[in-house]
Amino acid sequence: MGRWSLYCASVKILVIEDERKVAEALREGLEAERYDVRVAASGEEGFYLANQQSFDVVLLDLMLPRRDGLDVLSTLRKRGIQTPVLILTAKDTVEDRVHGLDSGADDYLVKPFAFSEVLARIRALLRRGRAESVATLRCDDLEIDLLAHKAARGGRSLELTPKEFDVLEYLARHRDRAVSREMLARDVWQVTARATPLDNVIDVTIARLRRKVDEPFERKLVHTVRGVGFLLGLANGAA
Amino acid sequence: MAPLSVRTRLTVWHAAVLLLIVCLFAAASLLFVRARLYAELDAQLTRELSIIERVYREQPYELADLPGDRGFLFFQIAEKQTPRHESDGWRQMGFQRAPNGASTGAPASWAAADGTWFRVQSLAQPGYRIAAAVDETALRHIVSTLGIILLLGIPFAVGLAIAGGYFLAGRVLAPVGAMADKARRISAESLGERLAVPNPGDEFGRLAAAFNETLARVEQAFDQLRRFTADASHELRTPLTAMRSVGEVALQSERQPRQYRDVIGSMLEEVDRLTNLADSLLTLTRADSGKIELKPQAVDLGELAAAAADQLRVLAEDRHQTLALDANGRIQAWADPELLRLALTNLVHNAIKYTPPGGAIQLRVRSSPDAATIEVCDTGPGIPVGARELIFERFYRLHAARSSAGAGLGLAIARWAVTANNGRIAVESGSAGGSVFRIVLPQRTT
Repeated sequence: MGRWSLYCASVKILVIEDERKVAEALREGLEAERYDVRVAASGEEGFYLANQQSFDVVLLDLMLPRRDGLDVLSTLRKRGIQTPVLILTAKDTVEDRVHGLDSGADDYLVKPFAFSEVLARIRALLRRGRAESVATLRCDDLEIDLLAHKAARGGRSLELTPKEFDVLEYLARHRDRAVSREMLARDVWQVTARATPLDNVIDVTIARLRRKVDEPFERKLVHTVRGVGFLLGLANGAA
Repeated sequence: MAPLSVRTRLTVWHAAVLLLIVCLFAAASLLFVRARLYAELDAQLTRELSIIERVYREQPYELADLPGDRGFLFFQIAEKQTPRHESDGWRQMGFQRAPNGASTGAPASWAAADGTWFRVQSLAQPGYRIAAAVDETALRHIVSTLGIILLLGIPFAVGLAIAGGYFLAGRVLAPVGAMADKARRISAESLGERLAVPNPGDEFGRLAAAFNETLARVEQAFDQLRRFTADASHELRTPLTAMRSVGEVALQSERQPRQYRDVIGSMLEEVDRLTNLADSLLTLTRADSGKIELKPQAVDLGELAAAAADQLRVLAEDRHQTLALDANGRIQAWADPELLRLALTNLVHNAIKYTPPGGAIQLRVRSSPDAATIEVCDTGPGIPVGARELIFERFYRLHAARSSAGAGLGLAIARWAVTANNGRIAVESGSAGGSVFRIVLPQRTT
């Protein structure tokens, strides 16, 4: 798992989610990433835990029994607790989003979310404040020059379209982690309307990228994780 | 106080107006009759005075017989303030105190000491003066009787008016009550029922007709909703069935980790389908409830078309199709760019999907003085005339077998996105086969 596993060992995450299956899946998934996870099944319990211990990130469902998620959030903020909060909710209108962020949330993820995206968001929240000025991304013998917008593998320059380059860069930034089509649609294609038919476009673009990046080489770097998305790295099939 | 019913209010107004009219009428007739009777009495008095004067001048000895001849007549003849002749009773009745007993003037009414009313008038001539009085009891009696009759009659008439008005208002308003009863019984399950329209020409007929039209629209909306829900649950079943069978079959026997991965991946693919479906349904539901706020602005249609073409070009290339853009000049429309992009992307995506490999797709942007149009032309199989409206319906699929091609919501979303921007969307045959989808938008107005 490389550099993350060392870093994540001490990271504590509080999951406030009343749906047992979702909460358990999150716990297992996050623990597999070496995070230290606590789960609270109600707003009250979550509020109590967040007050008592210090966490690095809080994942907060909004529709909770007994105490509404937004209420928990704004009370925590009023008490001066500045832990980054990622809202996980089925409410997806712009007003809901704005309302959530206004209440003190740091990020907002709409259900049904892809677990890979939860991980990406958590990493982004943990990274926050730390400037990351990398000029070159590397993965095995693949080298991506972010300033010159050029990619090369094994010293051989790759002829990529701008979109292919953006996808490759995005995959490289999430190296060894699966990236969902939704993440690509939003972050690379900048499409916010979820009803836009982009899945096929993404698949075709990835296929072309794979032809250019992998076809001439022995070791394959671009992988499809079936049902999840795509991954750049050496490990085959790992999500 | 609770507001009065329409029936009561109608009756009260009706009665009040009638009461006012009857009172005015009664007062006017009473005054008129009274004036006429006095005029007659005064004429009689004048006649009496002239008779007395003639008798006094020509046969003064007969003066004493006058009251007897003429019924109850009181008179006095005075010469230079000195009474010369007085009828019997003049003094007893106290006429010397009557206003006209002494002076001259218009006839006046005067009450004697015993309460009897007289009409008194005097006639002044050089050298003498004649005063006469006639009894006006009969006149007063007539006037007061008439007054009593009217006073008693008015409440009776008004009472009749109230009863009649109440009855009439009830009859007139009865259809409203019947309509209300009927309307109350109509529920979501019996939206097919309609109010009876007994007389389409009158006000209530029009009310019933208007209500029926509303019912028809509600029924239509309900039907649409029912169909939508049924279609949606049907669409949900397909991925659910796939997930279930894939999962159940996988559990039937021990498998390799790799196979499990495959099964889970396959199930996740179905989850993606479900997610996409839920997103589309949610978009349409929000569109229906008008919850999506438009942010209209000047949109360059050429740029928009180019962006859509760029976005989807890889798909066309993958199918060896050409995707060309034909736009010249700056053509602007007033619309929400996000929604318009969504509509256009759906149209182009559709064209790529249904045009056979090797075909050509062209995006044309045109303008006319009052409209801006974007056309998506393809060399696909075309759309039969009978289906050209239907393809914009939710869940409608031209080729029922191609279930993998999506849920059939793309064009419905496109139509909504265009009409929400005050535009129109339609499809027709291309000149060289294939279809032409046309979005017509109002030109930018500044």
